[in-house]
Formats: sequence, structure tokens, C-alpha cells
Amino acid sequence: QSRTITGTVTGKDDGAPIPGVTVVVAGTKSGVTTNGSGSYTIKVPSGPQSLVFTSIGYLKKTEKITGSILNVSLESDTKSLAEVQVVGYGTTTKRANVGNIATVKGSEVVEQPVQNFQQALGGRAPGAQITIANGVSNTTPVFRIRGTNSISLSSQPLFVVDGVTVFAGDYGNESGGSALSNIDPNDIESIDIAKDGAATAIYGSQGANGVVFITTKKGKKGTAVISVNAYTGVTNVSRLPQVLNAAQYVALKNEAMVNAGVYSAATVPASGFGHAGFTTDASGNQVDTKWADLVYHTGKTYNVSTSISGGTEKTTYYGSANWSSQEGIIRRDAYKNKGMNFNIDHKANKYITLGMKVSYVDQLSLAAVTSGSLAGEQYATAGLGREALLLPPDISPYNADGSYNTNGAGMGTQGNVGSAYGTIAYTNPVSALALDRANAEISHTSANVYLQVKPTPWITLKTLYGADIIFNTADSFTNPITNYVSGVNTASALAFESTNKRYVWDNTAQFDHTFFGKHNFSLLLGNEQRGTNTNSFQLNRSVLSDPAFNVIQAGYSTTTYGGGGIGVNYLVSFFGRLNYNFDEKYFLSGTIRRDGYSGFGADKKYGYFPGFGASWVVDKEKFWDNMHFDKVFSSLKLRGSYAQVGNSNVGDFGSYTLYSASGLYNGQGTVLPSSTGNDKLGWETSKKTDIGFTVGFFKDRLTLDAAAYYNNINGLLYNVPAPPSAGLASNPLVNVGSMWNKGLEFDLNASIIQNSSFRWTANFNISFNQNKITALATGINQYTSGTTTSEITNISQVGYSIGNLWMIRSAGVDPNNGRRIWINAAGTKVEYAPTGTTATPTQKWYYMDGTAAPAITQAADAVNYANSTPKAYGGFSNTFSYKGFDLNILCTYQLGFSVYYGTQATLTDQRFWNNSTIILNHWTTPGQTAQYPQVYYGDNVSNGTGLPSDFNVYKGDFLKLKTVNFGYTIPKNITSKVNISNLRVFVSAQNLAIITKYPGPDPEVSAGGTGNSTQGIDRNTAANARVITAGISLKF
Amino acid sequence: LPTSISNQGYAQFSTVARIQAGVLGLYATVRSGASFGGRYIEADEAKGDNWINATSNGITDYNTWREANTSNDTEVVGLWGQCYLSINDCNLFIDGMAASGSAVLGNATLTNNYVAEARFLRALNYFALLNMYCQPYAVSNGASPGVPLRLTGNSSAGDYTLAPATVAQVYTQIISDLTFAEANLPLAYFTTGTTLDATSNTTRASRNTAIALSTRVYLAKGDYANVITQANKIVTLTAPFTATTGVPYALQANIANVFKTPYTTTESVFSLPFTTAETPGTQNQLATYFVNTTGEFYINASSQLFTDPNWRATDARRGLTKVSGTKTYSNKYPTGSPYTDWAPVMRYSEVLLNLAEARVNVNGVADLQAIALLNAVRQRSDPGAPAIIPTIANILEERNIEFLAEGKRWLDLWRLHMDIPAKGATIGVLPATAPAYIWPMSATEQVYNPAIGR
Repeated sequence: QSRTITGTVTGKDDGAPIPGVTVVVAGTKSGVTTNGSGSYTIKVPSGPQSLVFTSIGYLKKTEKITGSILNVSLESDTKSLAEVQVVGYGTTTKRANVGNIATVKGSEVVEQPVQNFQQALGGRAPGAQITIANGVSNTTPVFRIRGTNSISLSSQPLFVVDGVTVFAGDYGNESGGSALSNIDPNDIESIDIAKDGAATAIYGSQGANGVVFITTKKGKKGTAVISVNAYTGVTNVSRLPQVLNAAQYVALKNEAMVNAGVYSAATVPASGFGHAGFTTDASGNQVDTKWADLVYHTGKTYNVSTSISGGTEKTTYYGSANWSSQEGIIRRDAYKNKGMNFNIDHKANKYITLGMKVSYVDQLSLAAVTSGSLAGEQYATAGLGREALLLPPDISPYNADGSYNTNGAGMGTQGNVGSAYGTIAYTNPVSALALDRANAEISHTSANVYLQVKPTPWITLKTLYGADIIFNTADSFTNPITNYVSGVNTASALAFESTNKRYVWDNTAQFDHTFFGKHNFSLLLGNEQRGTNTNSFQLNRSVLSDPAFNVIQAGYSTTTYGGGGIGVNYLVSFFGRLNYNFDEKYFLSGTIRRDGYSGFGADKKYGYFPGFGASWVVDKEKFWDNMHFDKVFSSLKLRGSYAQVGNSNVGDFGSYTLYSASGLYNGQGTVLPSSTGNDKLGWETSKKTDIGFTVGFFKDRLTLDAAAYYNNINGLLYNVPAPPSAGLASNPLVNVGSMWNKGLEFDLNASIIQNSSFRWTANFNISFNQNKITALATGINQYTSGTTTSEITNISQVGYSIGNLWMIRSAGVDPNNGRRIWINAAGTKVEYAPTGTTATPTQKWYYMDGTAAPAITQAADAVNYANSTPKAYGGFSNTFSYKGFDLNILCTYQLGFSVYYGTQATLTDQRFWNNSTIILNHWTTPGQTAQYPQVYYGDNVSNGTGLPSDFNVYKGDFLKLKTVNFGYTIPKNITSKVNISNLRVFVSAQNLAIITKYPGPDPEVSAGGTGNSTQGIDRNTAANARVITAGISLKF
Repeated sequence: LPTSISNQGYAQFSTVARIQAGVLGLYATVRSGASFGGRYIEADEAKGDNWINATSNGITDYNTWREANTSNDTEVVGLWGQCYLSINDCNLFIDGMAASGSAVLGNATLTNNYVAEARFLRALNYFALLNMYCQPYAVSNGASPGVPLRLTGNSSAGDYTLAPATVAQVYTQIISDLTFAEANLPLAYFTTGTTLDATSNTTRASRNTAIALSTRVYLAKGDYANVITQANKIVTLTAPFTATTGVPYALQANIANVFKTPYTTTESVFSLPFTTAETPGTQNQLATYFVNTTGEFYINASSQLFTDPNWRATDARRGLTKVSGTKTYSNKYPTGSPYTDWAPVMRYSEVLLNLAEARVNVNGVADLQAIALLNAVRQRSDPGAPAIIPTIANILEERNIEFLAEGKRWLDLWRLHMDIPAKGATIGVLPATAPAYIWPMSATEQVYNPAIGR
């Protein structure tokens, strides 16, 4: 005899139905789960019974059956220690985890107009510093977990998606191409950032930079829930430097020419004024070109994501599709994405579970021409970020006859005349934007299958095979108009293809058992094998036959092989983890991994990576309650860990001494040593120590996570120079250096107001990091680096932080003569006279008493000037909800660092380049105190172009209104009438405002990309975008 | 990488073809514009008194020309590195042949041929290092500091600290290498049967090449008896002077033939080939230093060379100069971009003049062969020129005319420990005892090899 009970489960806070709640008859194992609209139907034996309702994130509730309908509302489990966290090869709860893992919920990164989820992580998690390097679409952010942890190898973390370590590099061409943009943020369940030794030790030689686990959504039991999330919006450039208009430009350049003595009315046509002069367009108007308006525009963004999720007792599934078209701030820079994702899990019987996942994304990274913003592009003469600023405003992109203004590969000077004015070697950005292309297409497939067997309830055996495959093509064309040089159409095309394949096979056995009631053991044993193959080649073709064709297949007179590569590596690992806890009070965890990696040298193929952690849940102690601490402190957990992990990003063949068979001697092939290897090439060792605590106040309405860490890195790889007389073909990578990072992290979460209609939760996190290099190679105590070889901007010295700014000091402008004063290595002032010669008496360089001085050079006179990585960073997030309204505001900040505003050197250069309006404050009369020296045409020294100087360095500290998301959920009683279970409309904004003293567009910038030693450089880089979107999200 | 071979298991010696390519690779390294393909010749010329620097460009031997070198100068650091790169490649090859290559070849004669080529090239590099960075043998009979003697190959990271050997020790090694080379190099290279392979005979070392180079080395060491012994193997007693065994060296009727395609005359004892696909590289090309009318150097009009009445207007070697405006340049390397003129290392006329000088030193100026040798070279280019007495000064002057822009002037001043004459109005005489007489030690060597001294 049984009866049927039905009901709906809702959340106590918002009244929304909760799907997937397990409903079990008390004392039995028979149960059901709620469907997509939160309702359930269960058969219950007669007699007085209770139902038990459990769901992750909610407090367990037991309710007596009083009739045939039983509706319940569940209270959220605000105890943060109950949160599920993903760890390597498994999951745990925050309470049981001895490691330091920051969890970001998928809901925190959705609805944001980002191309890859990393871009939305900034400020969300302590210890994770995210810097968006530039305003190019789908750029790969600088992602540092607890500081920069390597010199020669990548410092980006390891990314593990659903258990498979994946490619995370950039596969774009002139637009960004982050491999991780294949994951639609809507599909992300959670992001867990493993920071300390205990959490990363299970990844052994790959754990040094931290591990980021991405867990994608899985199906939930119940009828299918269909959700649609769509938004559209606009993207704008903001805070561009103000440049001179045509009139100001002509006046300034002519003043500079007079000062330089090159101005001569006799040599100038009567129509002109000086050597710089106005241009008139076809309709007779004076040209005043705002190049920034021709380079930047308001981009349009569209994004639609849909998903279906559901399942039965045995089978659950989740499928999604995503279409995205996001234009960048630079014209023709765009990201177009079409993605599909599907996973299914099936419980075949009591013992066997199996499932699979497949996702396929086709992604176009579109651009016309270089933005000049990606690493290494800062001095490209076609770089749009720079061209938008430096091109003269008194010339037009067009000639009066409507044709493009070109002169060889550069532009015509139009109204500006005279050999002293010079020629414009910069390409016409308008013709380039119209006719060039520099696109990439990324086809990214990620898939895995698994089989899990539970022969007994306490043994779980699992095998998982995963693949991550990227086919990447790049397609570039430079047009025949700007490349019509001396009668020859040198238009060129480039094609590049690469395949990148990775296979991972994991086999794990997990044993969970409790002895004597309180001794809980969990043992994981596993094996992983991972193989990676890459293969690429490039074709360059030039001198186009028929300008009408612009594909690589067209007729060209020159075809050359543009290089390529083949890479193979293999990793085999065995690992184990033993967790023990006594009564959920004392937790111990020990991990060991043995890695064998093909990239290491012959003598160092294998290594062991141990880790230990312990924690103590103090609030479970009797004395805690006895001493009435529980009145204030609702929870307290102490935690500590130590581990040795490695950085294995050594490249596939770095250990080998290679001979090249590519050279010739009088037409015959040669074989010659081409690079020098190192049989002892090994991983860099990170010894990570972490202690911390988590404390909750007032029933965990307020929680504080605090951690202190020390990461001592030894065996840093460095290309160690040998004496030249050793005759080595190259400087081999040797494990020689050492460095440490130490820091503090605080993460404060507060549920400030929680009532049925109004809720306010807040998170504040701050991380402090300090870095110091303690050793480089023998005989070497520093090295310098720059964004390109054209400009060296950073120095890394033993005893200092990595990648500090390396600047020449200055002492303003001499009021007497309007010349720049520098300070040389000895601390003596040295002036520069652009009019001087190297011969006496008028020196170019002289001391304040007029005697000749050696020229100021960076090598001789620059100092270790300031740190370029922030000393503190974090975020402050507030979430409000009132009835149907919700509002989330995230502010991010980075503090205690300096930025070299190299663009300002560009903007004050006294060649034909246009200048920032700050140049108007320049010296003209003796006695005047001015910010800038007397202008002198051709002077590219006084502004710091070739001499990175302190007057172009600014504090980068900023507070950014990073994200604002405001939504309204239409009341259920309305939407349910049209069978919509949830309908929300929202508006969202990114980078809405910034508080900073930095004068450039954005101090959150990295012209050096993700490089370790080239942070803090803003050189000719396109600024971050401001994006405003509006959207709708609905569930059926 | 697709065109790379790992050295695991001596894979670079695993086939006969790879070994042959390995031998050619050694020449390719020597041929580099950073050393014998350009920079060595250029530095030697810049140090001598025949040129005026036109550009004051610190990258292109300006400091060498004005005798104000620092250890950081491009040329000082660059030549040192390139010579040792070449030496190490030779050492790796010699080691690899012993360990693996000789078994693969299965031909002891051929193995010794190849090893002899490596040792010949090693000797060539060591001699260049002595020439630029060390005091001549004449100073203290070679007891002054030489360069580190590295005779085994270095192929991986390691500690390479090594003190320099003495000049005498380096000479001993060079002579040992050349002796081995002489004994083991092929007599000549043939295309088929007995048809001489003129290209290989010019671009690779044969027995006579090693003998020819040894005359230069012995002469620099002041070992005149051995110069005579060695030269006699490849120079007949009377004119026309030729080599009667091995590659049949002889003077060309017209010297201009040596400097034009195909560059493979029997006078070209050893030259390094360039082609449109194999170029000396920017700022290395001989043409940009001495030939171009906007070149780095033009002929010093007040030099002994240019004011020498014995260098007559009828001399064919005047035809290897060209005048542009008020300046005179060399015209030995006339081919413009991509600069495919071959770089001469040694010509037969040098062997003849080496022998003449040695004989004069032993037998005095009345030595009949010496007279004949000197005038053979002189009258080849100026048939109407009166014969001159082979005083050392006359021989040196003849060498100066004959080898202009071929990198021999400093070699001659150095080996005889002579002062460097003035260069125009700005650079005065540099005494042979001055510290700036020889190049300083490469700065990078000083930083990374603490045992180097200096």
C-alpha cells in the first residue's frame, strides 16, 4: 500500500524552483529528484513518513508528510565550507580541503561580453592576478597565480578542463586567439584556482604556476530545461590621448623647424606656411584628419547561447550551442565564434557509470592589419595603435582625386613639403583597413569519454580518455595599393597552418572508507599519459600578378617557405593521494606524483613531486562551544601545506644538441651544430609553503579566508652563456637561478542583508605579493628585456623583483635654455642640446657648467627604477537583489606598481609625428618653467624615444569599475503563463570607469604580452575596450 | 625541428652523406662573413695603414682603424666568437669521426682525408686568433699569452673555464694540425677520373693547401728554414713557378682573372665561395668596406703604398682599384648585392713571396731564386717593370701592392713586430710596443671565462 506525494521545492531566498533536489523517504534509499520546474512526484509507503530534501548549496531539510502535497522551501547553505571544490582527479568540499583553492562560480563570469572566461576573472579570486594586455579581441590575459614564478619559461597556469589538461596559448593572427575561448562562459559550472602546494602537488612537474580547473555544466535529472541567453551591445575605445589638430600641428612643427634652423621661406611654396602646411581636399576644405576616428570605431557585439539540460534516473545530458560575433574597438578587429558542446552521463547499472563529452568550436579571429598591440609588434610601422596617434592631422588618407594617399609603402606628405620635413614611412591605415587582412581561424575540438566502475561502494575505478585538438590557419594579405613600390606591385600573401593535438589517458582508483566510525580514509592512485603533437608550416608569396586577386592561390612571382615546426612530447605520470580525517575535525593529506617527461634532459627524465597538507576544523572541538566562541565565530579552520612542484614548460627538444641540415656550402648541403642542449635540463622546482585560516562569524554571514605563502623557486632555467671560446652553437638552458614569491591573501565574504525581498552580499579580496630574484647564472647578476629588440625597458637583477623598469633619471627642463636635463650614472646632471654637434664648442651633451659630457646611454646611465608588477591587487564585488531586481558591481584594483608610458615618448617625438596636446606646455622663453623642452624638429632624444626615461614613467595604481550587471526577473506568475519558468533581462557594462593617476588610456596593459620580464610597458598599445550590452536570459 | 638532427648516438655521423655534409659544414662556418668570409680580412686591412675610414661607424671597424679598440667592440667580440665556433665545430667533427664516423665510412683513407680537412681549418682559425689577439712570435719567442687551446668538442652545457696557452704552444698545435693535414689530405679533388675539380680544389683543402698555409705560419713564426722546406714542395726551383704534384698551382697571366667568376684559377690556393643563396651578410661584405664608392674605407693617399713610385701606372694591379671623385677604392670585389665575390684566403703569389722572404732571410738579397720569385709576381702584373732587389722592404712593399684588400697588411706588420704607420692626418704612428698594438681580449670571454686573464 503506497500513496503518491507531489510537491514543489523552492529556494527560501528567492522563491525560485530548484531543479535536481534529491527527495528521499526518510530511513529508506528510494528517492526521486525534482524536475526543471522544481516539482517532484514520489511514491511513499503508508504510515507516518517524512521526506528528506537535499541539494548541493542548500541545507538539508526533513519534512513530515501531512497530505498528498508537500511543498518545501530550502534555505541556502551559507556555510562556505560546504562549497564543493574541484581538485586534481576528484572533488572535495572546502571544509575537507587542506589545500588553498579559490572557487569562482560560473554564474560570476556569464553575461559578460568577454571572448574568453579568463578576461572575466580579474578581481574575483584572491591570489589570481589577471591583466588584460590590450584592447584586441580575444586577447590572452596575463594570468599570474601568486606572482611570476619563472624567468625563461611560461608563468601562465596549467588549465585543466573537465579533467583534461588543455592547450591555453594564443592561436590568433593579428587579432587575439586564446585557445580557451572555446569554452562558452555559459557552460561553466565552476572555476577552481589551485594555488598552494597541497592543491597543485597532484600535478607534479606542471604545478608551479598554479592550476586552474574548469568544470563545465552537466545535465541534471528532471525534465529538460532549455535556457537561452542572448545579449547585444557596443564596444568603444576610451581615454585615448588628446592629439593636436591640424592647425596646432602645423604651428608646432613649424616652430620646431625654425628652432632647428631648417625652416626657410625661400624653399617653401607660397601656398604653404613653413615646411609643415595644410592640405585641401577635393571640395576645397582644409584637411584636419582625426586618425583615431579612422582606426577605432564603435564595435557591435552579439551573443546567443542556448542549452538544454535534463535527464532520467539513469541518464543525464547537457547540450549547448553558442554563436557570438563581437567587433573590437579597432575597425575590422572581430571575434566570431560558433560552438557546440554536448555531454552525457549514463548509469548503466549499480556498478557502472559511463559518459562522454564533445565540444567543437569554430572561431574566426579577424583583423585587417597589425594593431601594434600584441607582444613584439610595438614598432610595426603599420601598427594601428600607434598610427592612430602619430600620423599628421594635416594630411588626408586620400588624395584630392579620391585615390589613397600613398607613397611607396608609406604615405605622401601632401601639404607638408621640403626635404627637412622628410617622408612618412608609415602605411596608410585607411587603405590597410580597407584592403588588407590578417585573419586566423581556429577549429577547436575537445572531447573525452570515461568509464567508472564501483565494484563496492567504497571503491571507484575510473578511466578517462580525452583529446584536445586545434586546427589553426592564418591568412594574411597586404594590399597592392600601399605596396606598389617603384613600379612593382609587391602585394603579398601569407598562409599558415598548424595542427595541435593532445591526448590524455587517465586511470584512477579511489578508495574511500571509514574505520571505527571516525577514521575516514580516502586513497587515490592513478596514472596519466599525455601526448602532444604539433605541426606547422607557413607559405609567403609576394609580387602579385593581378591585383584583383588577393588569395594565397593567386599568381605571385615569389613563393617562399616561411618556416614551420614539428613538436612532439610525452608525459607519463603515476600519482597517489592519501587523505585522512578524524571525525571531520583533523585533516591530513599527502600527495606524491612521479612524472616522466620527454622534454627533460636524458639525465633528468623522471622526478618525484611530494606534497603535504593538514587542517584543523577548530569549531568542531568541544571546547569551542564550551568557551562560547560559537556565539561569535561560527566556524574556524586552520590550514597549512608544503609541496615541491615543478614547471615543465621547457619545450620539446630543449635538452638536445641539434645539428641543422639546412645550410649550404657552394650549393651543397651541410650539417652543422645549430643549438646546444643540456642532458641535465630539468624542471624548475617550486617549494610552496602555505598557511591560512578560514573563519566565519555570525552563522557564517561573514567569512574571512586568509593565507600567507612562500614560494621558493630553485633551478630556474636560464640560457647560460658559456665562454665564447667554448664555441657552443647556442647558450644552453641550464637550471641555475632562484627566486621567491611571498605574499598574503585575504578574502572577505559577507551576506550583509538577507531577507526575503532584499539581499546584499559583498566580497572583498586583496592579495599582496613580493618577488625577488636571488640568483641567476654564475657571473650574471642581471639581464634586460624589452617588448621588442627596438626598446629595452626592463631589468631583472639579483636582489630585486623580476622585470623592474630600467630607466634613465631626469631633472626636468632647464628654464634657462629649454633643454632636457638627464642625470647620469654618477648622479650628475647632463643636458642635451639637439642643435649641438659632437665637436666643441657646442656640444650635444654637456654638464651644467658647459663642459662636454659623454652621451647619456641606457647601458651606462639607466637605473633599476621601479617595480612593474603590482604589490597588491584584488577586487570588491557587491551583489544586491530586491524582489526581481539584481545588481552586481565589481571593482578591480592593482596597487603599488609603475608603468612605462612609452606611448608618451611617441606622442612627444619631434619628427613629423603628431603630438599629444601636453606638448603645448613646452619651453619657449628663458626663465620659463615648462614640462617639455624647446621643440626642435627632428629631435627624438629629448622626449625619450631612444632613451627610456623616468619622465615617461607613472604610477599605475588603479581602481576600475570593471563590471556592472543589472537585471530584472519578470515575475513567475506572468512568465509561467507562457510556459517560461524564468525570464530575466539585463544590462551589463565593462570598464565603465577608472580612477587612476596614470595619464595613458589604461594602466592595466601589457605591451609585452604574457612575458615574465616585460610587464608594465604601455608602448603604442590599443587601450582596453569599454563595452555596454543588454540581454535576455530565459529558461523553459 | 624538421631539418634538425639530434646528436644522440652520433646521428649526425650516421650516414656517409651526413658525414660529407658535415665536412662541408666546417667550411661553411669558416666561410662566415663574421670571419674569413669578410670580417677577418676587413679587420686586418683596417688595422693596417692603407686605408682611411670614411664613416666613423663603430660597427664596421672604426675603432680598429683608429687603434682605439675596447674589448666590447663588435669586431673584437665577433671574430673571437666566430673563430672559436669554427674551432669547436672542427673539434666535434674530429671527435665524432673517431667515435662513430670512421666506422660508418669504413674507409680509413677517406676518414683521414676528412679529419685532415677539419684540422686544416682548425689551424687556420687558431692562426687568425694569434694574428689579431696575441703578440707576434718575435716578441719573447712565443712566451707571451696566446689563446685557450681547445682540442675536444663541446656539445652541451658545462664548465668551460680555461686559461690561455702561450703563443708558442698555439703555434705548435697549428703546425701539428698542418703536418697531419699535409700527410692526410688528398693530393687533389677530381670530378671524374683524372679531371681536376677546380671548384673543390679552390674551396676545399688538399695537400698543397696545407703546405701553402704552413709557409705563412712558419714565416710568421720566423722559422725560415721550414718556410723553404715546405715551399719547395709546391714551388719549382725556376720560373715559371708551379706546383708539380697535387693541385698544379701557378700564377695567372692576368691577376684580374683571380677576382672574377669562376674564381677557381690555379692561383687560388684557397677561396671561400659565395652565391646568390649564400651571402656574407649585412655589414660583412668585402665590397661595402673597400669597393663601393660610398664604402667604409678608401685608400690612404699618403700611405707608403699609394705614394710608392715602384707601383707604376702600367701595373695591372692599378686596374684593381677605381677612382671616384677624389677618393680611390679597391675593385677586387666588384659584384654588388647580394655580394657573390669569393673571399680569398690564400693565393699562390703569397707562397712565392713567402719563399722569397725566407730565402732572403737565410741567404741574403743575392739569392737568385728570391730575385726570380719577387719579380715573377711583380712583372706578372707589370711586364715592363725593371727587376728589383729582394730586400725585405721591397718584398713587403710588393706584398702590400699584391694583396691590397685581401687582409695581409696587418699580418705583415705584426709578424715582423713593426710599428703601424700613420693613417692620414688624424692617426699617427702606433709603436709596436703600444698596448693598443694588438686587439684586447673579447669582453664576453673575460666575463664568462675568468681564467682568461687580461
